Amino acid sequence: MVRGFVTANGMEKKRTSDEFEPGPIPPSQPVDRFGFIKQEQNSPDGITKSRPANEHEREERRIRKWRKMIGVGGSDWKHYVRRKPHVVKRRIRKGIPDCLRGLVWQLISGSRDLLLMNPGVYERHGPGQRSLYNVLKAYSVYDRDVGYVQGMGFLAGLLLLYMSEEDAFWLLVALLKGAVHAPMEGLYLAGLPLVQQYLFQFEQLVKEHLPKLGQHFSEEMISPSMYASQWFITVFSYSFPFSLALRIWDVFLYEGVKVVFKVGLALLRFCHDGLIKLPFEKLIHALRNFPEDAMNPDTLLPLAFSIKVSKRLEELKQEYEKRNVASLQQTGSANRQQLAIKDKEFSIRPETSNCVPKDDSSR
Amino acid sequence: MDSSSSSQPEFDYLFKLLLIGDSGVGKSSLLLRFTSDSFDDLSPTIGVDFKVKMVTIGGKKLKLAIWDTAGQERFRTLTSSYYRGAQGIIMVYDVTRRETFSNLADVWAKEIDLYSTNQDCIKMLVGNKVDKESERVVTKKEGIDFAREYGCLFLECSAKTRVNVEQCFEELVLKILDTPSLLAEGSAGVERNIFKQKPPQADASTSSCC
Repeated sequence: MVRGFVTANGMEKKRTSDEFEPGPIPPSQPVDRFGFIKQEQNSPDGITKSRPANEHEREERRIRKWRKMIGVGGSDWKHYVRRKPHVVKRRIRKGIPDCLRGLVWQLISGSRDLLLMNPGVYERHGPGQRSLYNVLKAYSVYDRDVGYVQGMGFLAGLLLLYMSEEDAFWLLVALLKGAVHAPMEGLYLAGLPLVQQYLFQFEQLVKEHLPKLGQHFSEEMISPSMYASQWFITVFSYSFPFSLALRIWDVFLYEGVKVVFKVGLALLRFCHDGLIKLPFEKLIHALRNFPEDAMNPDTLLPLAFSIKVSKRLEELKQEYEKRNVASLQQTGSANRQQLAIKDKEFSIRPETSNCVPKDDSSR
Repeated sequence: MDSSSSSQPEFDYLFKLLLIGDSGVGKSSLLLRFTSDSFDDLSPTIGVDFKVKMVTIGGKKLKLAIWDTAGQERFRTLTSSYYRGAQGIIMVYDVTRRETFSNLADVWAKEIDLYSTNQDCIKMLVGNKVDKESERVVTKKEGIDFAREYGCLFLECSAKTRVNVEQCFEELVLKILDTPSLLAEGSAGVERNIFKQKPPQADASTSSCC
């Protein structure tokens, strides 16, 4: 396991992907089950506390169900998903058991297929180089259009806690190239076209779902680029509690980016009454520092799931594209990149493109 | 700042400042040192960050609204709109990395020309990480020459040891206070016009004409 590489106090603040210097875990300091140094004795997420016996049993039962669903090495997974997609969805929303998370993430992202069909494409670099650097470097070589963008390190770091470098590499490929869901590469390509689109969609959704707050934001001239860019670029792995980030990732990998919108809206809804009173500078601060109770996955996620966005997201995407095309025609400078990305089917470099599934997954 | 409920304006002037420069030169560290007098291993800034600091300089109570930006080129699409309306721009480089200095002329000065809307905007050149004197590759003389050529103020500092950090902001602000047009913009009465900026929009919506 490469778990020890994030030894600072959590994903929240301390990592520089540029000059990444993983250190060994200092032996004297207590760490939680994720390998993070514990900051306080009573950690807010409660995961380190001992649980009552019946909860333990329930957890065991849950894991048994999951194992059955997955089969040996993932052999039964596709079959199960095809037969009972709703059961799968419900179980994922309750959180994937931690001991199975690494495997399940690979199954639901489609990266498992990519790995199996591309033997030997991923190669390790020097033996002394470290996992995160390896994965990011490998990705940047593999996909020169995207290359390395700050923020990708958070994704890779999260994945490396649950899988090997090679597995993490393929999971990145699956996400950015869109093995199962819409490709994420537009979040990182020049011009960050997908960030722009998501921010547009998110701003509209705020106005529709939380009209008072939306109004307050426009009066105070708060735009989502001031607080939500990092939600999308790192899928909440930049500055949110790790336990929450993991729960979001469970759903993100299975259901796609819409959960980022849902969680974002849920955060705003949860803090609505406070936010609506704040002036610009305090708003900006609050939107980057949500209170602890807002970030409890067991309350935030159900709230997020109750918010329906799929249909509007699609409509807003079309609206955005229409506006974009119109503005491109106006300025006369066709932004090739944006159009190219929009039309881009899942394409991997020529030597591997024949091996990559577009939509053969059973969902 | 917390006693904002009083009807008295809490400051005489409000200025908008902007930090730019290559990735890893220490923009966020400089800001953290200035606003909270601390130093930490920070992760790269994604997009933009924002902090407020109240100071008294030249006998005036000032509120500084400081935008910190991601240095990586890819993020410029998100950061470019934050130049608008800034009275002061701090260009940061790392005295131990030559390319962060050469990019000032190649990249950052051009960005200012492109995106800054303020003719009289004060520019400040800051060479950070002077605590690593043995690794220095950009001399002080080079910094001074650049500043002269581009009409900037200049200081070398260390966010780590706090040497000259406050001075960077102080000198910049003194110069702003010395510039009548900027002073007028920063008067407490016209806060709405400068503190906030038109939020950056996606390409689509900025160029709507009909």
